[in-house]
Amino acid sequence: MRRLICLAILALLASPVAAQNIVKIGQIEAQTGANAIYGYMSSQGLALAVDQVNKAGGFQVGGKTYTIELIASDTRGDPKEASIQLKRLLETDGVKFVFGPFLSNVFVTIEPYAKQFNGKFLLMGGATRIHDFLGTPDHDFLLRSWNWDAGPKGFGNLMVDRLVKETGAKKIAMLFQNDQGGKVLVDIYTPLFKQKGIDAQLELFEPGTKDFSAVLAKLAAANPDFLFPSYSDAHLYDIVRQATEGNYFRKFFLVRGSLGPGLKNKGEIDDYFVYVPKYFEEAEKTDPKVAKFVADYKTFYKRDFPYDQAPLCSSSCYDHLFMLIEAMKKAGSVDDVTKIRKELLSMTYDGLWKIRFDERGEEIFNFDIVRMKRAGQISVTSVDAQ
Amino acid sequence: MSQLLVGQTLNGVIVGTLYGIIALGVTLTFGITGIVNFALGEFMMIGAYVTWYLFDIVGLPYPVAILPAVAIAAGCGFVADQLLFRFTRNNLINGLLVSIGLISIVEAGALLLWTTTPKDMGYVLSGAFRMGAVSVPRMKIVVFALLAAVMFLTYASLSRTWIGRAAYAFSQNPEAAMLMGVKTEILQSGVVVYSTALAGFGGALYASLYSLEPAMGGLYILKGVEAAILGGIGSLIGSLAGGVILGVTEAIGSIYLPSAFRDAYGLVFVVAILLYQPSGLFGTER
Repeated sequence: MRRLICLAILALLASPVAAQNIVKIGQIEAQTGANAIYGYMSSQGLALAVDQVNKAGGFQVGGKTYTIELIASDTRGDPKEASIQLKRLLETDGVKFVFGPFLSNVFVTIEPYAKQFNGKFLLMGGATRIHDFLGTPDHDFLLRSWNWDAGPKGFGNLMVDRLVKETGAKKIAMLFQNDQGGKVLVDIYTPLFKQKGIDAQLELFEPGTKDFSAVLAKLAAANPDFLFPSYSDAHLYDIVRQATEGNYFRKFFLVRGSLGPGLKNKGEIDDYFVYVPKYFEEAEKTDPKVAKFVADYKTFYKRDFPYDQAPLCSSSCYDHLFMLIEAMKKAGSVDDVTKIRKELLSMTYDGLWKIRFDERGEEIFNFDIVRMKRAGQISVTSVDAQ
Repeated sequence: MSQLLVGQTLNGVIVGTLYGIIALGVTLTFGITGIVNFALGEFMMIGAYVTWYLFDIVGLPYPVAILPAVAIAAGCGFVADQLLFRFTRNNLINGLLVSIGLISIVEAGALLLWTTTPKDMGYVLSGAFRMGAVSVPRMKIVVFALLAAVMFLTYASLSRTWIGRAAYAFSQNPEAAMLMGVKTEILQSGVVVYSTALAGFGGALYASLYSLEPAMGGLYILKGVEAAILGGIGSLIGSLAGGVILGVTEAIGSIYLPSAFRDAYGLVFVVAILLYQPSGLFGTER
């Protein structure tokens, strides 16, 4: 009798149970940590998109229905942790599509390893340093899911142009972290400012710094028109507070980070000029897709919508999953990464953002420039970067 | 430039008192228990997070929020002493290992509770006091006054009360102090708890100035140990002086040299002083 039961169990296990068609998607982002602003919203948005796709019954490619399995762990912005996670995703989980990273220091650490899998997977991340590797040999796996700062259509270029036209700024003080992200911003913006005739002064600080008084005082001594600080809200809150309290700066120019530090100190700020991929507070009122996304988020996560962090869902987030699915459908395959990449590069997707990739695999999308003046008066300019 | 120097000297003095409160804890603990408690930074972190929670989330007034924060930090210090530190008295290596292990445990706990995403507390007292071009945030002045007051009260208590004399006696000759009726176990535990309370108080004040992260204690214990060594281990006034000198050196160094290496300027100064005066500025050679 016992033998019969064992045989029956073995037969059941061995029988061709209808295999579930699953597409695995990995994500390596900082969901927590000092730089979590560059990963939290991506992880939130992607998980929501996956849930929506699966609840709708999946998607069809080549006559088969597929659902998505999302494998996302928190890297905490730690390059070592991200390396371990990527290795597990590619070697153990057999993932062919990885979303992230948004952090340059993480990307430069994982790049040598990821390169070994060129042609076997796609990595779609927003890290600024990805730009330098796009279109280079053995890097067909790379796509950069964020606007590039420089170049004629670069958002940084447009921001600096506006800064000059609207404020007449002649001198700017740059205060960045002494890491990969900070250094790449120096490399981008120093020549940009020089081109526009703006005198730029630079100081770097160690990540983990909390008291910025000395360096702010040093920068302020040269009487610059604007302070151009950091790239992470974790530092921006301290910098903006200390800059205004110490009466060192009341005008800020930002191409990374959120409106949050400005809003917290709005009574002390004269001008807060910030690149915001989308000003959700206003977009929610005018764009039905945005309003639906906000409502879906609140329903799914059962909490308030994080307006200050939502703009960072412009990278490897909600829209990108639907883009990827559309590319798979057009390619007629869920695992031929070469065909899928080709389709991604040829499409324009109109979701929360209007997104397309250029010939090298770098994203171009429409964005907002938000200007906050005294007492929190906000004006928003939408820019069509296409 | 002179106003820049004056402003940053003042800022350095204020920041230095935060280093000094930790240095005081280091010095007290070493003098009475013979170990360097590297986990004091974690008790500072506990004080900071509890203050943030009580002020921002629960909504208690800030002065009221500080008291439970200090009490909880002290309570954690008592538990750590009873479970760990009392088995490492006068054993520097064991004490070091235990305190480093405690750092990992406390930080992991903080990560679980609050994650690594920094918390930015609401402003307690905004605005600045201005004298010409020199601007000093009001909250920093309050923090300085409170820290300096606590440090001087500690010094006064130790030099003018029976318990203070007992502590000095114990630090000079533990056997004789025991024979004179000093309850040494209670004294040692009391000092550990007091030093963790000081760290918690420092953390509560830190929360009113800067954003919080679970790893924040690591920087401050290093600064505290530097300041204690600079001022002279065993010297209470040296702790304050060491912290202030460190803070000012870092601030002034950042003005004339690249600010990216700010932490190094204080260290270089400490090394230079120790080459000339190995026992520290106010320490006595043994």
